[in-house]
Amino acid sequence: MRGRLTFTAGCVLVAAVLLVAAVSLVWLPYDPSDTTGGRLAPPGGEHLLGTDKLGRDLLTQLMVGARIALTVGIGSVLVGGLIGVTAGLLAGFATRWLDDVLSAALDIVIAFPTLLLAMLVVAAREASLGSAVLAIGLAMSGVVARLTRVLVKQVLTQDYITASRTSGTSWPRVVAEHVLPNIAPTLLVNLALQLGLAVLAEAALSYLGLGPPPPNASWGRLLQEAQATVLTAPTGAIAPGVLLVVLVVGVNLVADGLRDLADPTRRRSR
Amino acid sequence: MTSKFAGVVAALALALAACGSGGGGTTGNGAPSGPGTATTIEIGSLYEPQNLDNTAGGGQGVTEAFNGNVYEGLFRLTDAGKVENLLAEGYDVSGDGLTYTFKLRRGVTFHSGKALTAADVKASIERVLAEDSQSARKGNLKVIKSVEAPDDATVVVRLSSRSISLVYNLSYVWIVNPAAKDLATGEDGTGPYKLEAWKRGSTLSLRRFPGYWGARPANDGVVFHYFTEATALNNALLTGAVDVITSEQSPDALSQFTGNPDYRISEGHSTTKLLLAFNDRKAPFDKPLVRKAVASAIDDAKLLQSVWAGHGSLIGSMVPPTDPWYEDLTSLDPYDVELARKELAEAGYPKGFRFTLDTPNYDPHPTAATFIKGELAKVGITVDINVITADEWYTKVYKNRDFAATLQEHVNDRDVVWYGDPDFYWGYDDKQVTAWVKEAEQARTADEQTALLKKANRKIAEDAASDWLYLYPQIVVASSKLSGYPVNGLNSQFYAYGIKKS
Repeated sequence: MRGRLTFTAGCVLVAAVLLVAAVSLVWLPYDPSDTTGGRLAPPGGEHLLGTDKLGRDLLTQLMVGARIALTVGIGSVLVGGLIGVTAGLLAGFATRWLDDVLSAALDIVIAFPTLLLAMLVVAAREASLGSAVLAIGLAMSGVVARLTRVLVKQVLTQDYITASRTSGTSWPRVVAEHVLPNIAPTLLVNLALQLGLAVLAEAALSYLGLGPPPPNASWGRLLQEAQATVLTAPTGAIAPGVLLVVLVVGVNLVADGLRDLADPTRRRSR
Repeated sequence: MTSKFAGVVAALALALAACGSGGGGTTGNGAPSGPGTATTIEIGSLYEPQNLDNTAGGGQGVTEAFNGNVYEGLFRLTDAGKVENLLAEGYDVSGDGLTYTFKLRRGVTFHSGKALTAADVKASIERVLAEDSQSARKGNLKVIKSVEAPDDATVVVRLSSRSISLVYNLSYVWIVNPAAKDLATGEDGTGPYKLEAWKRGSTLSLRRFPGYWGARPANDGVVFHYFTEATALNNALLTGAVDVITSEQSPDALSQFTGNPDYRISEGHSTTKLLLAFNDRKAPFDKPLVRKAVASAIDDAKLLQSVWAGHGSLIGSMVPPTDPWYEDLTSLDPYDVELARKELAEAGYPKGFRFTLDTPNYDPHPTAATFIKGELAKVGITVDINVITADEWYTKVYKNRDFAATLQEHVNDRDVVWYGDPDFYWGYDDKQVTAWVKEAEQARTADEQTALLKKANRKIAEDAASDWLYLYPQIVVASSKLSGYPVNGLNSQFYAYGIKKS
């Protein structure tokens, strides 16, 4: 029951952000580069949330920012998921020294701080949306791979795998029919959690000026830009912060709910 | 569970990072200076030196902390922009203007105790001219052919051509004890203060030098406190951790100090200009008409209002009002979108074009770039903003000239002469301007020099050699207990010896 509740609450929060992003594709209150609003106009009237230093409508910036947050979140989960699951499957099937080498490699990737890795990627390429996705995805892939490896190893010890192998099923079919379906629920929950972290990582990168370049209105950049004017125009800092919390909490609640729903033992205990 | 909370906490932390730094106390008491204790002035600054040597890329921070405080030149540029004798007692110029004879002040000693001699002055000038010197002013002193020290109190400088700015330029040449070692982290100058300690990333303390030849400073020492962020610096002043901010960079923070009797705000003259510098060598910016169109398409007044909220002023060229050859040229390329469209069409770009704007990653450049992108979109020009670090700017733009257009702040006064150098990074090449700048330097009188530089200045403005967006304000905020601090901050110097705390 509680699982369902958190799941619903999470879905509502995430859906709200999704809706904002979807609406931003077809309608915006103002043009994102429209600077006619006047410097730091207070909320209300023509500008629901006020304007920034350049006179741009804050609500417009936030709506565009929702798009960026979701793009980076989903994009990096795809990158991290693809690399992570592939590497994890390989490591899961590996034995002896190859397993040791792969595990050590994964540990190194995980030990590397996300932001530092992201900075390296940005330095090697350029500060852009693509770099942010790639950097966050790469950092995430280590965690996903390690989890996948452990899950695969667990599944491989099961009797039905041995049975299916002795009955002549090829390895690719074993992976497709037995391994992946069995590890999917746990993996999905983890990927959902990773999505929340990815959104935060993007905001942090943008806050540091390493995210998509201006005038892209990433929430992290909006926070950074509003920092100097936080006393005179606090909405500029509060609004992107609140949205960030809404999205991350939402995603985490969804992940939590998914776990409860996917896990029959937990379902029974409540 | 834990990762869920970690996520929430991190989200809140990020949201609060923006708010948290804006908080802080509201008391305005300066640092306590109890009875009997020596007065130390606590100075807050955003410009920590890279190193302590101004010929090794120390940056504006070392100028701020050391110029006139720790090191002295033969001459001093006062806060009002006048050049007066300092370590030189006077000088004579030969009839042909090629030989300058300087008489040194007697009784001057370095902090190490060694007496100042003409040989030290010779070595110091040669240090700036040396092959490996990174002094920004090196180019201005190229006319020096030789420096001689016929006796301990006389220095003779011979020039290859007349140089009316020589004395002015010598105010930037620190007289350094040539025997001193490791000037990147230590010092040996003749100024009223000596270096006590430099804690990197935090503070630089100067203590009064008892053996100083001149008037005793009004305080016993100063400590520069370095901040990387304007809001943190403002909070330090609000909580009394510092007594004065050398250069306020956050206009929105001023409301915390206005109307509060505990603080005084002074708005002086600055020489810092924000430039949209084109690469004048390469299409499309090799055409003056294109540059003029861009200049007319950008509403400088609105940009200035956005960044500085009514502080600062507009300029129509490279010359700030404090330079003798200033002329108001703001009407040359007025903000006029229609005019911009017409000029673009005339130049062969009726539909506009696309270019990359190399933008340093620190304020106000990203804000300005965003604004410019929006403005130029109205005339069909697409701007791709490429954010780079200060180091990348130096290599990519300044050294390799690999750019179409860039944003940069130029802090020096009298720097219009760079448009006379076709090899400078922006590559403005006009024979006439080059000749005028050269003739101005060889002028016999200041009036002649002024007239020539005015002509050069008008020409570069007519050609829109760069787009001069605005002139920064110079805002000093100090505890009202403080007096005697400089308010103009020309070239970012900050003389500390006159500061008193009551």
